[in-house]
Amino acid sequence: MAYPLGTVRTLLDTDHVTPATRQALQERLDKQPDWQGLTLRFFTPDEAELLKQLTARLLPQPADREQIDVINPVDHRLAHNESDGWRYDVLPADPDAWRMGLTAFQEAAQAQFGKPFTQLDSPQQDQLIGQMQQGTATGASLTALQSKHFFEDMLAELVSLYVSHPLAQEEMGYVGMADKPRWDRIGLNELEEREK
Amino acid sequence: MTTYSTNDTVDAVVIGTGAGGAPLLARLAMAGLRVVALEAGAEKDPKTEYATDERAQEFLFWNDERLSAGENPLAFGSNNSGTGVGGSTLHYTAYTPRAQPDDMQMRTEFGVAADWPMDYHTDIEPYYDELEHFLGISGPSDYPWGPKRKRNYPLPPLPLNGAAQLMQRGCAELGIRTSPAANAALSGRYYQEGVGWREACTNRGFCQAGCSIGAKASMDVTFIPLARAHGAEVRANAFVTTFDRDTQGRITAVVYVQDGQTYRQKCRNVFLCAGAVETPRLLLINELANSSGQVGRNVMAHPGLQIWGEFDEDVRPYKGIPGGLISEDTHRPFAGGSADFAGGYLLQSIGVMPVTYMKQLARGRGLWGPALMEAMSRYNHVAGINILGDGLPYDHNYLELSDELDARGLPKPRVYHTDGDNEKKMNAHAEVIMRNIWSAAGAKNVWAFPRAAHIIGTCRMGHSPDEAVVNANGQSFDIPNLYISDNSTFPSSLSVNPALTIMALALRTADRFLKSGE
Ligand SMILES: Cc1cc2nc3c(=O)[nH]c(=O)nc-3n(C[C@H](O)[C@H](O)[C@H](O)COP(=O)(O)OP(=O)(O)OC[C@H]3O[C@@H](n4cnc5c(N)ncnc54)[C@H](O)[C@@H]3O)c2cc1C
Ligand code: SF4
Repeated sequence: MAYPLGTVRTLLDTDHVTPATRQALQERLDKQPDWQGLTLRFFTPDEAELLKQLTARLLPQPADREQIDVINPVDHRLAHNESDGWRYDVLPADPDAWRMGLTAFQEAAQAQFGKPFTQLDSPQQDQLIGQMQQGTATGASLTALQSKHFFEDMLAELVSLYVSHPLAQEEMGYVGMADKPRWDRIGLNELEEREK
Repeated sequence: MTTYSTNDTVDAVVIGTGAGGAPLLARLAMAGLRVVALEAGAEKDPKTEYATDERAQEFLFWNDERLSAGENPLAFGSNNSGTGVGGSTLHYTAYTPRAQPDDMQMRTEFGVAADWPMDYHTDIEPYYDELEHFLGISGPSDYPWGPKRKRNYPLPPLPLNGAAQLMQRGCAELGIRTSPAANAALSGRYYQEGVGWREACTNRGFCQAGCSIGAKASMDVTFIPLARAHGAEVRANAFVTTFDRDTQGRITAVVYVQDGQTYRQKCRNVFLCAGAVETPRLLLINELANSSGQVGRNVMAHPGLQIWGEFDEDVRPYKGIPGGLISEDTHRPFAGGSADFAGGYLLQSIGVMPVTYMKQLARGRGLWGPALMEAMSRYNHVAGINILGDGLPYDHNYLELSDELDARGLPKPRVYHTDGDNEKKMNAHAEVIMRNIWSAAGAKNVWAFPRAAHIIGTCRMGHSPDEAVVNANGQSFDIPNLYISDNSTFPSSLSVNPALTIMALALRTADRFLKSGE
């Protein structure tokens, strides 16, 4: 069950939320997405455009609210060469893996449709996405295993960033950030007042 | 607070402050030794600096890159190891079952792995008892499995959340016994030596992202304050890189980097407690303590297959201690003829935080587009169960240094992990049982997430210097003033979560060291 738009914003103003939690979420809410890519440090403008279209297919957001930006956080991480602690040995270091993976989308689009990925229609894009995920995209200069692992890593990172956003959380029906009072009604079908 | 100069020759330097380091640090300090702990991670105040937010808490994880190889590559970072004063206990789920005696006799019973070079009843059990009372473990008064305990758990079990109730329902239907689990989180306020009163768990369900109220018995609110109260010094952000040695090969100082500066702490003894990846890595980088050739070998991980399902009920998987319920009826499933593998496993109910769940769903089911958004919208109806099984060591599973350097200029570790026949059979056996439980409990859209948890065994203990890196006291066969105390010394992986046993071994190592009078 989704909560109405604005639920988390309202909750953050109450004393149900500890200062550390409020600060983390408020910063994320306040951050203005940079759709022009002006502050990008790692992705080239072409890569950013490709990624924008790709994320629109992977994570189709409700159109009637501000859009959650998952591209800038990835850009920031790669520009600063930050890791999440591991990578598949068959892939190169994350910055190279992302370049290689995005290039593979373009190569496959060219080979199969004779156009860049960004000029394909949605069904064509979805078809290529499925092939990259299965490791079956012809024209892409990745091994099948690399293609599968890159796609899995990319999807996991984008989804994590998306779900970390308070707007996505209220749509999931999640209000666990109301962390100050105890949770006593924790069994099946039991809800606290602040969860209703 | 006591501090030492790097020129003071302290009695012991402890490297790493997790489950293996902190209890030992406290024990040595309480015996009046002059001890310094060097911890690569930071020290934060959970009460003011921990957010109930997974992304904001990523600083708890060991995020230096490791290379995962083999057919079942291990996920590190948030799935595996932590950093900070308190180590991985800062983000452990606090599930603290005891091992059973036969867990330590896998070679005798099945001819696999290695027996533990010690006796369960005299060497381990007394420490379990001590730890359960010191940490304030909440658990049931009659636990159905394993040897009868000397004393009850000091606190009653934590309340069952939705996932635990569902597992109870499904298991009851199938005649599988269950029990509220033992958790190192307080079901009531608890007075603790060296610390004072710790507050009860507020059922916030965020143990894996750190406990902001001190209810969870992580090392930063238990053994570390105790150690400090007895004069231990803990230095945070201190990354150990190498050692100075004398002509006999004994270590004379530990070399570490803190805020870009290199320091050498003089010492008589070293306790290496950096976890089952960093401990062998440090030894391999420095070509130390490896005359057995076993440093980095015997990588084991616990088969940790998870089964997820969606229920009609409102589950709200973010509430309550995540691992509320346990069954050890599958501890030796071959005994009833239903299994054909060595060892066994436990069953655990699991609550889950939203980002962790969706990340696993992305990896495990590969959903994207409208199907992904659909699955996301059903988060509140999700519950899981998983196993924790005995994973065996194989020649093909090991840790080595790669030739890629990290930001510190040190070689990144590469870890090979491929399930053997035993793990495959165990997972297959468990998948059937868990699917049956979930279907009896009313689950829909059930899916399996294959996974392995914890890394174990990379500096094995044993009787002989030909086969092991350390002896039963944790002492290196090659360098007499070097000891290891962490998950790397386990000769077999056990069919239970490791932290309680790591702490028990840590206390034992400290006691043996003190007795030897070194
Ligand atoms: C998400 C999650 C949930 C878990 N839940 C449970 C559970 O419910 N029950 C259970 O029993 N276990 C659980 N575990 C496992 C448990 O946390 C670990 O097994 C245990 O903490 C390992 O102890 P250790 O002493 O070997 O290493 P750690 O606790 O990881 O401590 C090692 C310390 O050494 C430091 N270090 C490393 N290298 C250096 C260096 N070069 N210089 C200085 N310091 C260094 C690290 O920063 C770290 O603080 C869980 C683990 C994870 C990841
Ligand atoms: S569930 Fe309890 S022990 Fe775990 S983090 Fe929350 S308050 Fe702490």
